[in-house]
Amino acid sequence: MENVVYEKKDLYYPVMSDILSVETLTAMEKRFQIAMPENQPLNHKPGQFVEVSLFGFGEAPISICSSPTRSPNFELTVRATGRLTDKMHMLEAGSRLGIRGPFGHGFDVDVFKGKDVLFVAGGIGLAPLKSLIDYTLDKREDFNKVKIIYGTKNPAEILFPKAIEEWRQKDDVEFDMTVDRADKSWKGNVGVITTIIPPLQLDVENTVVAVCGPPVMYRFVLMALKAKRIPDDNIYISLERRMKCGVGKCGHCQINDVYVCQDGPVFHYPHVKSLEEAI
Amino acid sequence: MIIKKEDLFNFFATLTETHANPPQEIIIPAHSQWRTDDQRNFKIFKPTGADDNFTLDGYRPIFPLKNLFYITREALSTKTYEGPERIIAGVKACDLKALQLLDKALINEDFVDPSYKFWRQKTILIASDCTEVGNTCHCILVDGKPYAEQGYDINLSPLQDDTYLVHIGSDKGQALVDHFRKSYEVRDNSDETQNQVDQNRQQIIEQLQEQNRQYDRTKTYDTLKAARMDVWKQSSAECIGCGACTNICPTCYCLILNDESTDAAMFKKVRSLDSCQLHGYARVAGGASPRPKMEDRFRHRYLCKFLYMQSNFDMLGCTGCGRCSDACAAEIEFREATQKALFNENKPIESN
Repeated sequence: MENVVYEKKDLYYPVMSDILSVETLTAMEKRFQIAMPENQPLNHKPGQFVEVSLFGFGEAPISICSSPTRSPNFELTVRATGRLTDKMHMLEAGSRLGIRGPFGHGFDVDVFKGKDVLFVAGGIGLAPLKSLIDYTLDKREDFNKVKIIYGTKNPAEILFPKAIEEWRQKDDVEFDMTVDRADKSWKGNVGVITTIIPPLQLDVENTVVAVCGPPVMYRFVLMALKAKRIPDDNIYISLERRMKCGVGKCGHCQINDVYVCQDGPVFHYPHVKSLEEAI
Repeated sequence: MIIKKEDLFNFFATLTETHANPPQEIIIPAHSQWRTDDQRNFKIFKPTGADDNFTLDGYRPIFPLKNLFYITREALSTKTYEGPERIIAGVKACDLKALQLLDKALINEDFVDPSYKFWRQKTILIASDCTEVGNTCHCILVDGKPYAEQGYDINLSPLQDDTYLVHIGSDKGQALVDHFRKSYEVRDNSDETQNQVDQNRQQIIEQLQEQNRQYDRTKTYDTLKAARMDVWKQSSAECIGCGACTNICPTCYCLILNDESTDAAMFKKVRSLDSCQLHGYARVAGGASPRPKMEDRFRHRYLCKFLYMQSNFDMLGCTGCGRCSDACAAEIEFREATQKALFNENKPIESN
């Protein structure tokens, strides 16, 4: 009988990375700035994700919220909502994390170039979009008009107040937002995100839209965009699924015959339309 | 070439002594000592294990061949695997076909599952024609046959008087047969022996046809998509969502990764089989699930077998072994549910 030797590759094994800083954004969300070993760039595309792991606590897919234009370090915005993310929230600068990735299909920035770009973000969906927003702003001359609309549950949950203030100040960015429920301090729009879509002035044929939000949001946002006569062909959406392995095998993120961790999380809307249960 | 069954088992029993680098182990289906039915399961062959009732005949074993390649629960490490080859004999066509699908999924340009590849490389597969038909066997409904045509190193077709007609499928198979011939006599086969094999095979096919007469697969599997939700709902009414069907399916490979580390120095990641039938399977952090209802998950499984795997691997995900029906605690018959969905034929479920 032959002797068989097989060298195992580091499949499913993470790279240990350093947390450079942790910033508390809201009661639920923190932002982590992370450096790969020897400050190697992550080489990600806006819209991609990484698998974050902590020994003994597991692994979870988290969208990268910073633009590759701001590498070599990268940022993750994490809501404490489970075993791993709760533990992450206890970490401070100097702690280490396991990183696998980047994975998936991000936004194809070339499609957005030379066009008006509309960002539609709901809740924590602003985090994955921020990688593309920052990319767009860092290469501002490559794009035509930039509009960002953002909806969140209440004023206390506004994710990136500093960045939002900057966007408001910029002459070459249009920003509008709304909250589902106001508090006493809130003077802005009140209502779900679809209430601030109708007033938008859009050159519909020349506008490319990037949408990211909770699962329940897509159907209504897509209806509102349809009412504005935005062609389906101009819409890109980022879907939330349970990407466990990141390499198209484990099946948890499967939609029909498509693996979101490989073909997504960013999809061209016409593709998603043909997939049952996608939105 | 024709060999005697007795010689073959003697050959297996003495391999450790006669071979310079003997196989690590030999695995053969054996009748269970504690089951009263005629089912068999894979068991490690021991030269002295005369009582164990090893057999190459009958139909597929209780557990799928998958379990011996894609280990149900396996710690992943970066260590190097090493070891002599092993032999698995008495392998049936439905299981071999499933390995073909797993090969496409787990060893390709973009992805290699190292431990699956290791077990594949180190195994010599000896297939044997089915000589019986299990109650749930239905390979002929899914373009299969009760005998292997490819994917084996050696195939054995039983003849009269406890002899087998040998077909060699690979160099590994040839080497093993060459070693066999050093100690044992072989007879040449004739046209008559091949006729005998063809007749035996035809007889099993006829039994399978008779047993599956009521199942009509004249519709294309595309029509499954159009089945009304209440058809799936009725078929899955008794389903408890335990995942036995996917765990025992020879082509299901969906996995879950668990971290069982205590600290960085003791990093331990475990890959286990998971099941799309479990309630929390696709659930995301916020609690939303793309397939919240049992009938959604039930339907997903059928569509995955007949459409999604077809689309991804260019072959059906069902090889007709029928194990899912055997394993089902609710006694849901896979062929029946498929049939109902194909023909969209259920009385609507009356709402309360």
